[in-house]
Amino acid sequence: MDQETIAAIIHALKQERIDLVVTLPEEPTSPLTEAIRQDPHFTSVTVASESNGISLCAGASLGGRRCLFVTGIAGLLVGTWSLAQMAVLYGIPVFIMASYRGDIGDRSGVSGAQLFMFQQLGEPMLNTLRVPYRIIKKKNELEREIRDSHFACREYGTPLVLLLTGEVLW
Amino acid sequence: MVKRFDCLQLLASWLDEHALTVTSRGGNAREWAHLRPLGANFHSLNMGTCMSFALGLALAFPKRKVIAIDSDGSLLLDTSSLVTLADVNPPNFLALVFDNQAYANMGATATARSADLAKMAEGAGIKKASTITSAEDFAAKVRPALEAWELGFFVLKSASGRAQVKVDSRLIHGRPMLEHFINALLRHPDYQGKPSASQE
Repeated sequence: MDQETIAAIIHALKQERIDLVVTLPEEPTSPLTEAIRQDPHFTSVTVASESNGISLCAGASLGGRRCLFVTGIAGLLVGTWSLAQMAVLYGIPVFIMASYRGDIGDRSGVSGAQLFMFQQLGEPMLNTLRVPYRIIKKKNELEREIRDSHFACREYGTPLVLLLTGEVLW
Repeated sequence: MVKRFDCLQLLASWLDEHALTVTSRGGNAREWAHLRPLGANFHSLNMGTCMSFALGLALAFPKRKVIAIDSDGSLLLDTSSLVTLADVNPPNFLALVFDNQAYANMGATATARSADLAKMAEGAGIKKASTITSAEDFAAKVRPALEAWELGFFVLKSASGRAQVKVDSRLIHGRPMLEHFINALLRHPDYQGKPSASQE
């Protein structure tokens, strides 16, 4: 993830008045989460598991705090239990940004079998949980997608995931 | 051993109307809903989600006490939440873990076995973690912790079984419970949630 992309994401988050960012560090998004950690606008929380992150964001969001959970698609699979509770049972708006490991074009060095597993399971899992998601490949779509998706997340009352891939991520 | 209902009864008498509470499912939710039917109480979070959800709420209400009323089985499903809780170290957070040492609905099915949950919390970095074994101990430790401005974490060795209380199940389950909770938030003086996006 390059500096231009990071700046665009941070700008959009500030425009949306998101000031709590929860992460479980993972390689593709680590430059973003590090930049957020250095920015005094944000309260940055590093969780010890993705379930923590999703539950924490649900509590904060329901409590009126605008927050974002930054993770990877593997993290969404790990956090499925919490995501099922917060999405299906309660419909709590949890805004999530995840690297789309395993999408076509991922040459990150993770073994192909792992990447293919993410590609096979990630989107079907979100569909099964009825969690809406958008796949963002183009840098020039990023700010608009963040604004629109955050609006939809809050307005629909649902977790919503932005899957980052293509030139946004690689 | 403490009786959960007795401890919760004391807790209810100590809390001000603006404190926020979160419970795991089962007896914790039923007894707490009976004792504190009004106020911002989010009930019946499923296994492993109570502690982290309450932490998020504590970050949204930094000037109010948030109390997580969890259980041993629920905490054990996600002990990584202890590490996150220790790292954030919210001064407005109080954790009460009722430890009956069993998955209560299945009889004598052991949960933590020889593990010491308070020591696990301490090992995760929570400075004030301790075990409570009597009602006197509960009063001596928890009441001051409610008034202190620091993270408190207590494991309550509790007898198995539930108090026989009547509770409207809509207060403790699913979307009806959620509506009660949101209504309480909307009346809360510290609530920062803005109107829905379409109303901005």
